[in-house]
Amino acid sequence: MPPENAGYAVAAYIVAAVILLGYTGTLVRRARRAIGRARRS
Amino acid sequence: MTAPEGPEALVRRGTVITAIALLGVAGVYVLAWGYTPIEARQGVAQKIFYLHVPSAWSALVAFSLVGIVSALYLWLNDPRLDRFAAASAEVGLAFSAVMLTTGPIWAKPIWGTWWTWDARLTLTLFLFFLFIGYLALRAALQDPGERARFSAVIGILGLLLVPFIHLSVYLFRTLHPQPVVLKPSRPSLPPEMLRTLLISGAVFLVLYVGLVTIRYGLAAAEEAGERGDAA
Repeated sequence: MPPENAGYAVAAYIVAAVILLGYTGTLVRRARRAIGRARRS
Repeated sequence: MTAPEGPEALVRRGTVITAIALLGVAGVYVLAWGYTPIEARQGVAQKIFYLHVPSAWSALVAFSLVGIVSALYLWLNDPRLDRFAAASAEVGLAFSAVMLTTGPIWAKPIWGTWWTWDARLTLTLFLFFLFIGYLALRAALQDPGERARFSAVIGILGLLLVPFIHLSVYLFRTLHPQPVVLKPSRPSLPPEMLRTLLISGAVFLVLYVGLVTIRYGLAAAEEAGERGDAA
């Protein structure tokens, strides 16, 4: 019988999603702000 | 000859590529949980493999490209190369964060410890800190030429670490398993696992391209703002 450790896998998948989505969201917001500043200048 | 794309078009294109790649990552989640078998000795925790390994590949590709492009910058002095290196370093750090968090979560149930100071893990952590230093250096230097030259040297030093990280599992006694795909002999995985891993690797590389495109467009927009151009 394989060991019961599904909780670790679920935690890892949640952590990876938070990092990837969090970084993508931050990056897109930063890019939009930079484009806004470049337009105003 | 067409004119080079403006920052706004680059960010838009990067956002589309990233959105497609994130849908692909969602597909990898479905494949990993619904298609791949449960590994007999490691149990469900082995499914972390389909995120941990592709994020490690992407991080090492990202940092290798920083080094190669940095060397090209020192030779050609083209600011676009410096912009690309900075973008690749930042995106590489995001993938490293996935690798360095999913790794210990996988290690705890299998090795019985979250972390061990063996060669592979220590060198990878060192590479992560080196590129945090790379971004800190870039933030501290105001002169663009000086910033590009100094950070290019750090980027090349990072590239020198990459082969040691890959070969560390052969060179040193380590708890970290040896490569199952990137090795001279055939991949040692059941077909469902290998297929899912390769799909995940491809999806992570598309995500790398999308994120670097946005980050490159962001740097171009910042430079245009400083010069007073319109985006």
